[in-house]
Amino acid sequence: MKLEAQQVKVSYGESQILKEVTLSAKKREFVGVIGPNGSGKSTLLKCMYRVLKPEGGCIFFDEIDVQKMPYKDSAKKVAVVAQHNHYNFDFTVMEIVMMGRSPHKKMLERDNQEDIYIVEDALKKVGMDTYLQRNFSTLSGGEQQRVILARALAQQTSCLILDEPTNHLDITHQLQLMKIIKGLDITVISAIHDLNIAAMFCDKIYVLKEGRVHAYGTPKKVLTKELIREVYEVESEIVQDQNGRYHILFLE
Amino acid sequence: MNRKDKGSFIIIVLIIVLIVSVLAAITFGNAQLTLQDVYSVLGYEIFHFKGLESYGKGAIHDVVWLIRFPRVMLALSVGMGLSICGVVMQAVVKNSLADPYVLGISSGASLGATIGILFGFGAVFGSNFIGIMAFLGAVLVSFFVLLIANIGGTVNAGKLVLSGMAVSAVCTAFSNFALYLANNDNASAEVMFWVMGSLAGAKWSQILVILPVMILGTILFWIQSRSLNLMLLGDEVSITLGTNLHRMRNFYLVVCSLMIGFCVYAAGTIGFIGLIIPHAVRMCVGTDHKKVIPICALTGAIFLIWADVFCRIILKNSELPIGILVSLIGAPCFIYLMVRQSYGFGGSNR
Repeated sequence: MKLEAQQVKVSYGESQILKEVTLSAKKREFVGVIGPNGSGKSTLLKCMYRVLKPEGGCIFFDEIDVQKMPYKDSAKKVAVVAQHNHYNFDFTVMEIVMMGRSPHKKMLERDNQEDIYIVEDALKKVGMDTYLQRNFSTLSGGEQQRVILARALAQQTSCLILDEPTNHLDITHQLQLMKIIKGLDITVISAIHDLNIAAMFCDKIYVLKEGRVHAYGTPKKVLTKELIREVYEVESEIVQDQNGRYHILFLE
Repeated sequence: MNRKDKGSFIIIVLIIVLIVSVLAAITFGNAQLTLQDVYSVLGYEIFHFKGLESYGKGAIHDVVWLIRFPRVMLALSVGMGLSICGVVMQAVVKNSLADPYVLGISSGASLGATIGILFGFGAVFGSNFIGIMAFLGAVLVSFFVLLIANIGGTVNAGKLVLSGMAVSAVCTAFSNFALYLANNDNASAEVMFWVMGSLAGAKWSQILVILPVMILGTILFWIQSRSLNLMLLGDEVSITLGTNLHRMRNFYLVVCSLMIGFCVYAAGTIGFIGLIIPHAVRMCVGTDHKKVIPICALTGAIFLIWADVFCRIILKNSELPIGILVSLIGAPCFIYLMVRQSYGFGGSNR
């Protein structure tokens, strides 16, 4: 699916959070959004997944303005994994993932065998298929985040929006989750905190600073010493390893 | 047995228990009647069996058909309604401490009743005008709370609970003020008795309205169980799953207010049942509302039928207010369940 945000504007009271941000993701592209805290990454993503309504500008899913779309339809096009999800009540893993089927369901429709198959398949993809009957609240942070990803997969959308999905995860689980997502081969837009992870997985990176797009392009083009100094105000060095991959080292 | 079958199995067992409870509960009471008397009256009234015409009138007929049976049916309806509203309120405000009266409905009802009792206000509504005043108080107050919570953007759980508490405080203050000024001991006692709740006033004319209302409400929320599940995940997640909860939240609260209004009209404010039944059910079957709603409706009905039976027989020639008994039986059971299982919001050790 193709996703576009055009000149999106958002402000809370006096302060403008997003100042005419434009972003686009082509079919099957992995787009990263990076930037310091408070640069508007989450706000931009929230506009895209319709939790916030932008004051100006438009969001398009496959050239259709989302404001004109029922929520059910947008949930069939875009699935979301937000920042770490904590629920203080007990659903089983099965029940949580089954909720991903709700945009496909009419009011009186029951869950059928096909839904169960889709749920099991989604859990298999994230490696959690043996956890079907476990209680969600008893899982570790990494396991919970994989279950939430499985719920998004059960929506069977061709686009995924991720808002810092690997926050609170250790490096093993960060890489594991990102590899699963990369392997899905669908359009992905993800806010990413860790620049090395962004360099590793993204086809295209947008850098936000103070509510504007500061730069965008391939990781190699965008992630330079100069840009990191301008945006994050830290000194760094970019090195290439023997496999040709780029790594960012931070200096004092 | 897989989980789906387990849910249906529990529901079928509970329906059987409910029917048995209704039939058994009618045999208890102060008047000493034989089982044969009781079931002959039922057989005559429901199936018009030949040969039982002698049970068609007289004292035995009146005790069974006009006093006990409607009372049991009222217990069934109110127990069902309060439990369902408890489940829905807890989902709507996303707080496990919520009960059906969280929107200030009970204090609204007692304000209505107080005004009715003290000033004879609303006497135009006929003999049960106090009940009608309480119904009006309950429904108006909850609508008012909804209105306040809707001011300045969309409703959220926190705003609902806080405006409910505030409005409730105002209502309580007004009824206390009125009672204090009137300085009328009879009226205070009457209000007090009324607030504690009683099923003694059951009449067939009420049951024919209240029972269908509660059953329809239960079916409505059963159909909505998917949205109720989503409510527990929060508004943002629900939007990404294709459901905007803002309008639904108001709709559910209006339906609940009417259901509770009817309960209050017929039986006063019976506390605690709407809090413990939903939790007890979740501890046993989990949080999925597809199972919780029907099982809660049945469990609530069964619980209140038996609580009312104990109220009738525990004191000789007198009756215990049902609110007291519900708390006396309910609270220890609840504590037992809570201690026995690690419990977040629903059952963990299944």
